[in-house]
Amino acid sequence: MRAPNELRDLIARDLAPARPLAPPALRALALVPVAAAIVVLIPALNELRPDLPSVGVVRALGFAVLQAIAGVAIVAAALRESVPGRQWRVGHVVALVAGGLLTAVLLPGLAAQAFDVAPRPAGAVAVGVACFRTSALAALPALAASAMLSARAFPLRPAVAGALYGLGAGLIADAGLRLWCEFSAPAHVLLAHVGAVVVSMLLGTIVSVVYASFMKG
Amino acid sequence: MGGGNPDPAERELIALMRDYLAGRIEAFDGLYAALAARLRAYLISLCRDASVADDLLQETFLQMHRSRRTYQPGRPVAPWVFAIARHVFLMHRRGTARRVRFLERVAAAVGADEVMRDDRRALADVDAVRRALRAVPADQRRALVLHHVEGWSFAEIAGRLGIRLNAAKTRAFRGMRRMREQLK
Repeated sequence: MRAPNELRDLIARDLAPARPLAPPALRALALVPVAAAIVVLIPALNELRPDLPSVGVVRALGFAVLQAIAGVAIVAAALRESVPGRQWRVGHVVALVAGGLLTAVLLPGLAAQAFDVAPRPAGAVAVGVACFRTSALAALPALAASAMLSARAFPLRPAVAGALYGLGAGLIADAGLRLWCEFSAPAHVLLAHVGAVVVSMLLGTIVSVVYASFMKG
Repeated sequence: MGGGNPDPAERELIALMRDYLAGRIEAFDGLYAALAARLRAYLISLCRDASVADDLLQETFLQMHRSRRTYQPGRPVAPWVFAIARHVFLMHRRGTARRVRFLERVAAAVGADEVMRDDRRALADVDAVRRALRAVPADQRRALVLHHVEGWSFAEIAGRLGIRLNAAKTRAFRGMRRMREQLK
């Protein structure tokens, strides 16, 4: 079967050597400096968690790094999703999202002295808002970088790719809070920390879908 | 490089894809010869119309060309190409649905129910639509027809007319507004 002349001419006119994109895992490494900056800057711009001596620097930093690595890994999964023919199956997407959210739920407790360290009731809302705002804002640079990496490929399911890189960016941002926030009470963790991760995930979905429809016209 | 140990046919496709990325048109010919029949059968199975499948086949190869950088050397070519073909089909289906909605809106504007009952009046209404279209400035009419009737995306229209994406959208929007005003 021969290509129609019109199509062949069109391709021939536009054909030039093209450098293929690097594998998704390799491209996701571009986020490592962003993740490192977030993990360092959040405690640097605020303060180190007051219970650091009793928790231990290695433990707090270890869980922060672990969560940041999980975030970068999920962004790598999003970049793989953005390559035609390499989309994840629905079960894998569900497992990635559940695993990411579970990380955000469990790590604050594992990195704290107990699973129920709560802020004083009088200041609980203010503390929650501060954590939520810091986490959500810190996710933006990682989200922007991930969105650009994904857009350079060709996501056929932009909502899925966006949700995954939004989740990854949210986890990276929240990793910085492991060195700042000492609270592990379920209400605080779910509303302030997991809430910010979910918002980042939704933002990623919106950015990806809007960009895809803009490109399609 | 991933993708396991591909069979000889897939290995040949991988080699062709490598040459295609290097900018050799003969590699495109080879890819077309190896993939077109399978892709056409796949597209027919999706849209159940051979002539539409032929159009979608060309669009698949164009889309494959545009996004060739996303192919990862050494990986099987077929899953990559078939994913693109499926995407092209889904975009076509969305465009068709948009076209149908447009025709329904036009039909509603000219009183489609009455048109069905009265052939003479129908002809007059068709004429009204034609007149309304003629009243739309040529550049707007072109964008309007390409998008709403032929189902082109704004990006494709911008490429074809050599204008910016936003200009394509604006022209189609203004053309539609002008046509509505004419039909009132």
